[in-house]
Amino acid sequence: MDLQGQNGLMDTYRKPWRNRGLGGVLVSVGLILFYLVLYFEDKLEKLIHMRPLTQLAESVGLRNRWYLYGFTYCVLMILGGAFYLRKHGNSRYNQLRIAVNVTVQVLLGFLLPFVMPLFNGPELYFSYFWPLKYDYLYPHTLQDLPLYFAAYTVLGSLVLAPVMAYFYGKRWYCSWVCGCGGLANTFGDPWRHLTSKSTRAWRFEKQAIYVVLGVALLTTAMVGMDFLVGSRHPTFHRLVAGEHWDDWSLKYLYGLVVGSILAGVVGTGLYPLLGPRVWCRNFCPMAAFLGLAQKFGRFHIRVKPGMCISCGNCSTYCEMGIDVRSYAQSDQSFTRAACVGCGMCAHVCPRGVLKLENVSKGQADKQRQGLRVLDL
Amino acid sequence: MKVVIVGNGVAGMEAALVVKQREPDADLCLVSEESEHFFSRTALMWVVSGQLGHADIEPLERDVYARLGIRRVRARAVGIDAGARCLKLAGDLPDLPFDRLLIACGSRPRPGPWPGSDLRGVGHFVTMQDLEWLEAELHGGSTKGGPPNAGGHLAHTTNDSPYLPREVAAKTRGALARRSCVVGGGLIGIEAVEVMHAAGLQPRFFIREEWFWPIALDGKESAWIADRMREHGVDVHLQEGIEGFEGDDAGNVVAVKTDRGERYEVDLGVIAIGVMPNTDWLKGSSIELDRQGGVVVDEGLETSVPGVFAAGDCASVRWFEGSRRPEQLWYTGREQGRVAGRRLMGDDASYARGPWYNSAKLFDIEYTTVGLVNMNVEGEQNFSFEERGSVRSTTRVVLAHDRVIGFNLLGRRWDHEVLLRFIAERRSLDYTLEQLGEASFDTEFVPPLIIPPDARRAPLSGPAPSGNETPIAAPFGGASALFAKAVS
Repeated sequence: MDLQGQNGLMDTYRKPWRNRGLGGVLVSVGLILFYLVLYFEDKLEKLIHMRPLTQLAESVGLRNRWYLYGFTYCVLMILGGAFYLRKHGNSRYNQLRIAVNVTVQVLLGFLLPFVMPLFNGPELYFSYFWPLKYDYLYPHTLQDLPLYFAAYTVLGSLVLAPVMAYFYGKRWYCSWVCGCGGLANTFGDPWRHLTSKSTRAWRFEKQAIYVVLGVALLTTAMVGMDFLVGSRHPTFHRLVAGEHWDDWSLKYLYGLVVGSILAGVVGTGLYPLLGPRVWCRNFCPMAAFLGLAQKFGRFHIRVKPGMCISCGNCSTYCEMGIDVRSYAQSDQSFTRAACVGCGMCAHVCPRGVLKLENVSKGQADKQRQGLRVLDL
Repeated sequence: MKVVIVGNGVAGMEAALVVKQREPDADLCLVSEESEHFFSRTALMWVVSGQLGHADIEPLERDVYARLGIRRVRARAVGIDAGARCLKLAGDLPDLPFDRLLIACGSRPRPGPWPGSDLRGVGHFVTMQDLEWLEAELHGGSTKGGPPNAGGHLAHTTNDSPYLPREVAAKTRGALARRSCVVGGGLIGIEAVEVMHAAGLQPRFFIREEWFWPIALDGKESAWIADRMREHGVDVHLQEGIEGFEGDDAGNVVAVKTDRGERYEVDLGVIAIGVMPNTDWLKGSSIELDRQGGVVVDEGLETSVPGVFAAGDCASVRWFEGSRRPEQLWYTGREQGRVAGRRLMGDDASYARGPWYNSAKLFDIEYTTVGLVNMNVEGEQNFSFEERGSVRSTTRVVLAHDRVIGFNLLGRRWDHEVLLRFIAERRSLDYTLEQLGEASFDTEFVPPLIIPPDARRAPLSGPAPSGNETPIAAPFGGASALFAKAVS
């Protein structure tokens, strides 16, 4: 195993399956079908007269298809993580980040929620927060949760997550903890260069992600209001929180469109075609929320002036589609709300120009006033 | 006012951007032959290996000429009529009149002086055409999205152009290169070695000198790089020059002969013995050239002909130690382009070479150099320290008369601006080693460099061997006042 150098990256463009070739298209189709069956098996049953994932899960002794999904997820993350470290493991940041992310997901995202019900406990996910786990702030969900966990999820979502993002950047969640980010950075890593760097894609991202955040806030607020007044207004209740799919309620639609289609079918299914962060970049309300905290916070990517050779490695390997080079070649340290702090731009830079940092306002100003050698 | 720029490399493009920023309606024409779009020449190696695609190495969007209103002529400039103030173009293209002209035509590879250097399968690694040639020899062709309109200049060029497409030995032979060699122990040489290694080959690397890259590294530093190359399967031949290439009847290279009397079978050879100003087309014009062909310019980058400027690799400028030669660096080309752009618009601007710094990556070993290193400065002493813990690194501090004048650093990342400040403040070795942490630019979680106090008691060594036979004057007099300027 060759841990030295960037040789793991050197064949990126010479593998058709990593460049929208036949292999890539097949993986994408397979993933999309898998997610369609996973989410809509109940409805498909009428057509195909079987429940393939549920039957498969039961035949291997798992309670339901979601555990099968969780298990598959963990396997892909562990294998993908090993491949990731083979390619990019010659960096301390990468080693720690992937180790923590995979461990958190396997323990808190799979094993704990799997084991707790065996002892008649509730199925709780400590690694997910609102608004990504949107139902955790729905009042009737909170009501049913154990008190300690309800406190954890409210404080975690509304205080801990944004405060951490203010001090350390949203990376603490998006690329150290989150399951979506974890899968993107392990199983999805071979396709990270496919994220579009075009101005058009950036414009779409900025509109889409804040629209989803707005809808997430609206849905949570409406469901909260329904909790208070729904019993007295049956039509309002049906429109906001109706549980039958043919109610087409706001709550149902949000779960269907954002939770299932955008996060699962589109977000993961399109890894081999549009890069591994389609969901995180364009639709995740948690990423939008933490991105705002990051934008006003202490995290930035520091650029060493005068040293950039405009080679394009940083932009190419940015999974969030940030044109890092445009900042680096104009000697500009920067903070972008989208940046998930995976550290790859700094890692692949052949001139050591970039550095991820958490600095106070005063320190950042001091750096900016630093010596400008060329401005003699 | 008509402005013409020859060359769309970093100097020419930076100048064009400055002109258009100052005067969006300026009548600006950009002539260049090599490629349709501005690309980063420093990134060629990653395209051949497959780490980057062709479009990835273009720093500006492809619509930049249209968006800014820059007229783009894809052709070869073949001469200047200083009297009539027009630029002559090859082919049947009409002359281009100008009021102000910028020559930013860059470098061309130095041709191999050995027999067989022009065989099929032997070439260089400098131009976009070299890149396409190497891709064809090593991989059978470009990755997806090859350069647009690659042959767009062929109707308007001349036979001596360095931008003609090269014949591919792999094509005539019907098999990709398997046994390759690189001649010349510098940066382009090691890049060629890396792309061959990435293609699964184990190239021979012929270095005439005692060790790899002696103008930049000392023996110990270089030995580490050579070891790393050998670990990757590169066959490093030190102190072995070549005497020529042998070809077969078809004209393909089949072997290389060395000055140690050896003959090795090869099917691909890259000659990387430096670059020279691409200025043959200016010979015989009234533009003054220096001995190596660099365009002689004054501090304002103006040539011997008023209103005609030169910037980038082709311009022969005054260096900090007083000598005059071209600076073949990316960042100086960019800076010269910016100054030239202002001069084209009639502004008063001058180019002053700041203190030297640079960085590189040699396989996976990162390299930073700052100040006067391997320059054989009068009274020079070298402190060096090797770290072999979880991080491997070497630290070399160069001193003259007990003051720090330079740094040569391998294996870690450093902020050259802080190191330059130590030099400008004329710090002592003790102060510098104590404060060195301030200059660290390592990524997060990398353990800091710790130099144990007893390492400082080791005797300092004399000047590192260098190409300068006579010592240059100790700094902080004359030209080296530039170091002091850096903090003012």
